[in-house]
Amino acid sequence: MTLLTGCESTVEVSGNYPKPLIQPMPVDGGLILDEDFRNYSFFEQDKRRWSRTITLGNSQAEMLRTVVPSMFTSLEVRESMPANFSGKPQLWLHPTALEFQYATPRETRLKLFEVWIKYQIKAYDNQGQIQADWIVTAYGKTPTAFLRSEEEALNLAVVVALRDFGANLSLTTPKVAELQQWLAQQTQSE
Amino acid sequence: MYQIIKPLKILLLIGLLQGCTSVVVDEHKTSVTNSQWQQGEQALVLGRRHSSNYETELSLVSCVADELRSNTPIEVIDELAFINQLYPWFEPRTAPMRLKDMKRLLRNQQIATALQQRNLRYIIWINGNTETTKSSGSIGCAISVGGGGCFGFGSWEKESDYQATIWDLKESKNLGEISADASGTSYMPAVIIPIPLIARVQSNACEAMSQQLTGFFNTGGSDR
Repeated sequence: MTLLTGCESTVEVSGNYPKPLIQPMPVDGGLILDEDFRNYSFFEQDKRRWSRTITLGNSQAEMLRTVVPSMFTSLEVRESMPANFSGKPQLWLHPTALEFQYATPRETRLKLFEVWIKYQIKAYDNQGQIQADWIVTAYGKTPTAFLRSEEEALNLAVVVALRDFGANLSLTTPKVAELQQWLAQQTQSE
Repeated sequence: MYQIIKPLKILLLIGLLQGCTSVVVDEHKTSVTNSQWQQGEQALVLGRRHSSNYETELSLVSCVADELRSNTPIEVIDELAFINQLYPWFEPRTAPMRLKDMKRLLRNQQIATALQQRNLRYIIWINGNTETTKSSGSIGCAISVGGGGCFGFGSWEKESDYQATIWDLKESKNLGEISADASGTSYMPAVIIPIPLIARVQSNACEAMSQQLTGFFNTGGSDR
């Protein structure tokens, strides 16, 4: 029994995320954190690797709840896709976690734990029309340290990747071509 | 009684021994600052974390910051608190690599205000890491009803390679670079009990680099 459970582990990701120091876009925003996103977990399927579950849904939702309010004049958060998009938010962001990968020092021969995450972001206007759809990637690494377990190191690497996701999202969203065009139209109509 | 004290003395002597470390420090000044450091101005020690195959250790960065706090009148800001306050501008992906990138960053009014409020004058970037380059030997341990013990000999070599780059934000200048290379071998003989003789490679690199930085700041960054 000990041998069977010895190679299984669960990492419940937890970390602290700072508010970004950025200029907000001049629109009211909405953020859709659906159930899939809030409960996102990675289950290791490869039989050659240790059986591992990395639960990051809660932490990635927490990161976005901290970062996205600074991107808009105001923010409304919903936990499911709104049936009716009308309301204060002029632009809704809907993130989806598409892929998660990790590497341990045993595999790469580097003294680093590495994590890659791929997200898809869809932006809807207040009519429910998709205005932009783009990919945001995140990368995090953490060095091995004496007396630090693999689970702690992986947790740190995921937290660094989530910070990277927040940095990438907050800095690149206003530069997405379709959104720039949409923002220009909004400014003109006002 | 003497028979017990003698082996204890030998053990104590071995315990006091450390693996040997050699350190080489180089300083290269690229420019001389015109104004002296003034009361209230702060410095920041930051680790470079952009490389794909290593990361400057937090322990090294905090060691250098602590040494500067102890040996210079300059107030040194906590790395993590600064990175969090300026998020997302000093993340591995976004941190300015060159002084001209920093100047571009300072055109952002929010960032400029945050740095002015802190009265931050110097940023010291540290890039590098410590790694084990070679290891040899083996130690075997056994335990039985009558007791247990280890027997064998192990050794490993570590190398540190760090470079510090000093930016003066007030004068928008790269003041210079200090590099510290250290290497040392640690030994672990085991006769019943393993006795580690650890070479303090990273600590010695930190001390050497900090001493050089201390000299740099105690002369206000001016030419000596």
